[in-house]
Amino acid sequence: MHDSRRIEQAAAEWLARRDRGDWSPYDARALEDWLCASTRHRVEFLRLQAAWREAGRLQALAAGLPGDEVPPRGAWVLGPVAHATHATHAHDVAAAGTATPMRARRWRHALAAGVALVATGAALWLGWQLGGRSEADYASTLGQLQTVTLADGSSAVLSSDSRLHVRMTRGERDIELLQGEAYFDVAHDAGRPFVVSADGRRAIAVGTRFSVRRDAQDVRVVVTQGKVRLDAPPGADGRATPVSLLPAGSVATAGRSGVLVRSLPVAEAERYLEWRSGFLTFDDTSLASAAAEFNRFNTRRLELADAGVGELRVGGNFRWANLDSFVKLLEMGFPVRAERLPDRIVLHAR
Amino acid sequence: MPTDFDDWFVREILVHERALAQYLQRCWPHRDELHDLRQEVYARVYEAAARNRPSSPQAFLFTTARHLMTDRARRGRVVSIEPVGDFEPSNVYLVDDVSPERWVGARQALKRLAEALDRLPDRCREVVWLRRVEELPQKDVARRLGISGKTVEKHLAKGMRLIADHLYGGMPPRDGEAPAWTATDEDDGDARQQAD
Repeated sequence: MHDSRRIEQAAAEWLARRDRGDWSPYDARALEDWLCASTRHRVEFLRLQAAWREAGRLQALAAGLPGDEVPPRGAWVLGPVAHATHATHAHDVAAAGTATPMRARRWRHALAAGVALVATGAALWLGWQLGGRSEADYASTLGQLQTVTLADGSSAVLSSDSRLHVRMTRGERDIELLQGEAYFDVAHDAGRPFVVSADGRRAIAVGTRFSVRRDAQDVRVVVTQGKVRLDAPPGADGRATPVSLLPAGSVATAGRSGVLVRSLPVAEAERYLEWRSGFLTFDDTSLASAAAEFNRFNTRRLELADAGVGELRVGGNFRWANLDSFVKLLEMGFPVRAERLPDRIVLHAR
Repeated sequence: MPTDFDDWFVREILVHERALAQYLQRCWPHRDELHDLRQEVYARVYEAAARNRPSSPQAFLFTTARHLMTDRARRGRVVSIEPVGDFEPSNVYLVDDVSPERWVGARQALKRLAEALDRLPDRCREVVWLRRVEELPQKDVARRLGISGKTVEKHLAKGMRLIADHLYGGMPPRDGEAPAWTATDEDDGDARQQAD
């Protein structure tokens, strides 16, 4: 164990001991000595103490739950608490313990809203299985990610506004990316290649992790584990196109003029896939491209009024769901002015 | 016991832990050192700020993190490090957009707390619930669950660490495992309006 972990452990033990109820001046003195011994001790103690204090808000969750049982996991998210949103005020006060009634009620409303949010939006699943064959369509709406498990045990994460058609047979796993982008974690099955086709390109894997994305002009493949073969079926003239073998860390862009492959450290290639956890990563990216990325995820569009604005370079990590904050930061750091309209935000040079 | 300064540290520095963790993770190739880095960043910030409170705490936090990484890289403890010099002050601000924690709304905060609680191991979760929510004294918790006082204390210590990790999003998730909250917190935007 690293020292830092040991310190964290010790800080937690101090807090738990102080919480025991038989805290003496002697103990207080010993704790003070420990805190003074190293700033690392102190910061770790402060951190845990703050989190523990924060955890007191859990009392708001107890409101509306019956009796004094320890509730089963998730009980408050989907169960009594959500339903208790309209419970009478008096009951709230009684049950909320030390939480103030106002606060308890606010939490409850907030939570109910959260539940409603979780309930919206699901994948379109039109699968059926016929003697080892299965076929299914998956789609995600704008602004939503969709994680799906395919019939062979592989999983796919659909980016915003994306569509997949999946056909599994005994000998093949054919996935067609009809729109958008998807990340695949492929179940190993040497006997059945996993083929993702997009716009005439095919990315073929046996067991690996990679993503395929369709743009207006090209197809992009990012490989984060294993190897993927990128090819295209023979053209009308019967000539086979060159085949690229992409090892982990490859970012391949296949356009009309050919395939451009960049080899990056895997960690860097993974940045292209951060949309899965809700982020877009830019690194010296033109604002025009950044805006295009945001627009893949949001109904409210980001538009650029001047070409010059589009050439500004931006870097950093941004939540794609939080366009407002991105724009605010742009206004602070760049010579741009945002015009906020209901369906779009237009950036002007300032 | 908590001083104004400690409160300031919690309010202005610790709230950025998720952004800090992501930043360190992005720049530093050795995952097993991230916990130690984070702790040292906090210690450095605490000491420097105790002498002279920075006017922009978050920028100061990131600058400190950058300097620490540069120091360690220079000492030859790593082979390669991302050219962190790119992080101009304005960029640091942008990087911080990862986690505008102060904007996180009530809904999210409570959801995250509930998740933190639910992720605790069974017995630990029971102990935390009885002590922190039902506010039973530790010895009553022990009696109720038929375990020793020492065990209650151990579970509490563990619960504190796990809850802090989940709440602050301190340590990066393990490979390929998204933090539990990312799937449900795309509502940052509107949550902000009800932040308190």
